[in-house]
Amino acid sequence: MNTIITETDGKYIVSLEGELDTAHAIEVEEAMKPLHDVNGKDITIDCSQLEYIASSGLRILLGLLKSAKANGNKVVLKSLNDEIKDVFKMTGFIDLFNIE
Amino acid sequence: MRNSQNTSKSIGAKASIGILITAAALMLLISGIQQYSARKQIRSDLERNAEMELVLKSLGVKHSLEDVELALRNRRWEFEQVLPYPDSLFAVTRRVVEQNPNFDGCCIAMVPDYYPEKGRLFEPYTLRRCDVINTYQLGSDAHDYSKNKYFINSVENDTSFWSEPYPDEDNPNVTLITYTFPVYDASGCVAGIVGVDLESEWLGKMLNARHMFPSSYHILISGEGKLICGPKEKGNSHQLAEETLNMINDSSLHREPSSSGYAMLLSFTDNEDNSEGNVFYSSPENIKPWRIAVVNYDDEVFEPLIRMRWRNLLLTLTGLLILAFIIHRSAKSISNLQRANMEKEHIESELNIARKIQMDMLPKPESETKSDDVDICGSLVPAKMVGGDLYDYFVRDEKLYFCIGDVSGKGVPAALVMGVVHTLFRSVSAHESRPDRIMGTLNENVSQGNESNMFITFFIGVLDLPTGKLRYCNAGHDRPFVIGKETNVLPAKANLPLGVVENMVYVAQETDLVPGDMLFLFTDGLTEAKNIKHQLFGIQRLTNYLQECDKKIAPNTLINKVTEQVDLFVKDAEQSDDLTLLAVQYTPAMKELIFDETLTISNKISEITRLNAFVKSSAQTIGIEATLANKIKLAVEEAVTNIIDYAYPDGVEGTVTIAIEADANAVRFVITDTGAEFDPTSVTKADTTLGIDDRPIGGLGIFLVRNLMDSINYERIDGKNVLRLEKIYDS
Repeated sequence: MNTIITETDGKYIVSLEGELDTAHAIEVEEAMKPLHDVNGKDITIDCSQLEYIASSGLRILLGLLKSAKANGNKVVLKSLNDEIKDVFKMTGFIDLFNIE
Repeated sequence: MRNSQNTSKSIGAKASIGILITAAALMLLISGIQQYSARKQIRSDLERNAEMELVLKSLGVKHSLEDVELALRNRRWEFEQVLPYPDSLFAVTRRVVEQNPNFDGCCIAMVPDYYPEKGRLFEPYTLRRCDVINTYQLGSDAHDYSKNKYFINSVENDTSFWSEPYPDEDNPNVTLITYTFPVYDASGCVAGIVGVDLESEWLGKMLNARHMFPSSYHILISGEGKLICGPKEKGNSHQLAEETLNMINDSSLHREPSSSGYAMLLSFTDNEDNSEGNVFYSSPENIKPWRIAVVNYDDEVFEPLIRMRWRNLLLTLTGLLILAFIIHRSAKSISNLQRANMEKEHIESELNIARKIQMDMLPKPESETKSDDVDICGSLVPAKMVGGDLYDYFVRDEKLYFCIGDVSGKGVPAALVMGVVHTLFRSVSAHESRPDRIMGTLNENVSQGNESNMFITFFIGVLDLPTGKLRYCNAGHDRPFVIGKETNVLPAKANLPLGVVENMVYVAQETDLVPGDMLFLFTDGLTEAKNIKHQLFGIQRLTNYLQECDKKIAPNTLINKVTEQVDLFVKDAEQSDDLTLLAVQYTPAMKELIFDETLTISNKISEITRLNAFVKSSAQTIGIEATLANKIKLAVEEAVTNIIDYAYPDGVEGTVTIAIEADANAVRFVITDTGAEFDPTSVTKADTTLGIDDRPIGGLGIFLVRNLMDSINYERIDGKNVLRLEKIYDS
């Protein structure tokens, strides 16, 4: 499981690669911690390489969304595969996030 | 409502009027027949009486005439003695008049030239006028009696007779009749004719002295059809008498003989005063050729009839009034009855709806169980339209929840309480799997504000379908039977019924069912079913029947047979209580396993990676396609993560065992841990519709498990948490 964070044109892009299960949630959460404190920059999470997400992963995304919203930033999810999209639909997360 | 009332009222009014008209017609007919026969009777009585009257009056006339005749006959010798002395005849005539106050006059008309010295005509004559008696010689050329027909007749026939009536020359209102008889000289030749004049009124008085009816009168008619006498006392009596005479003489008028033939009967209508009447007249032998007649007026003859008619009319009217009153009252009570009926129908239709609602609340086997592991049949026959019994069952998380209950009382109040209890049972057991806790919650809800002191006997069972473990809790209900290798009563503690004591602690009991075991639950409507002799069906009869029945009997067959037994026993007696039966048979399907592997991990999050790898490879081995395998993996991961998070407080080490077994179309995960008791199936469902601000971080795990798997089941077995997940797959 890799978490790659890049900054381009004043935006953060987070690439999640591999399976975000409960065992890897702690490390991903740790990697994304800096993003909670950025001001005025939108965050795009690229999920094209994300194969799997458990509820602990969803929790990380929700936590990020809440702090970004508090800071006035936008969080956009990109390129979700169908299975993950199903999980988003099932949990109602599809209505919370801005998904491209 | 209003319309139909008006209609019924008018129908009632029409019926009343119809009855009244019929009754009136009947009464009139009866009174008409009565009148007719009474009239006939009166008429025949009248005829008889009138004939009798005519006979009596004719005798009276005869006697009166004979009196006169006798008186004169006795005087004949006086006349004959003084014949040689013509002037003495004056004295004789005077004496006759003086001695008979009835006589108006008396004369002796001598045969012409009998006394040559007295001229051809000699007639000494005494006349009474206003009590003054004058005697003089009447015979002269001006009064030539020798030409008088009576004189001629008397002389020639040598006989006595009564003359026709004639008016008095001095007073035309007075009618006279004269009695004449011959007087003989010594040689036996007729010397003269003695005549005595009488006012016919003398006969009239006798004749009309007494009448059949107040207005009746009699008249006497001469041989030539002239009126001799009639009534005198009435103002127009002469006229009446004349009219009667004219009728009798008028041969054109219809008359008929009376039934005996003694008299003739002539009916008339007086045009002046429209009065009707009849005349009976006859010519009795003793007064021939005279005739005597009696006149009666119908209004007097039929007066009793008219009185009777009025009385009848009065009676009829009174009867009709009473009848109308009775009809009115009964129509009123009929309309009341109709209204009551309508209200009853209204209530009944509402009760029908209530009954339907109540019946619809009962579970449908096909929709509620969805499990092959159990076979259920229930039956509820309320004693009234709605009842206070209930049973329910449903399967949640591979557990069968079932209950049976009996609210004290019957009918609508019991049904209302039953509805509340039913709803409570459903809502509480939606997130509570322990029967004692369900019972406790129900008891608290029912006890609070239970002012009508209704109580409910209740039995709750929770059957774990994978294991056959039955947990149950009883609240004062009849103990169910377990029909298996042996048939016994389930050893359930009685406890108090629901609604009796608040905060009552209910205790659950448990037992293990083996495949094929059947629970038979019932309400006291079964054991207390009464026959016509008020004997009870009784627990013994039930026990005997259940012990003798086929052990492999299916629930619906058992229910039908028991119902049949009750019907046979009760026969025609009215059902006294609701009758509810419920049979639950444990029938777990035995499936051939194609996969059976176990992994044990420690309670660490890092172990999830191993778990996921195990699930993934197992799914591949079983042949589950990749997308579904991912979903299953997610579900198992969430379930195990939950256990690690909740069953083990921080720092406690333990293990979690994941057994995967699969048959041809389902894969099952049996996740066992030694941690603290934790039932994920009773966790409230996460609300996935909340917005970001309200959305809690977490709480999604069990939600995902439920959504991804087909069934989830939790059981605490031997101090371990056992969680079962199942997913159907296409092999």
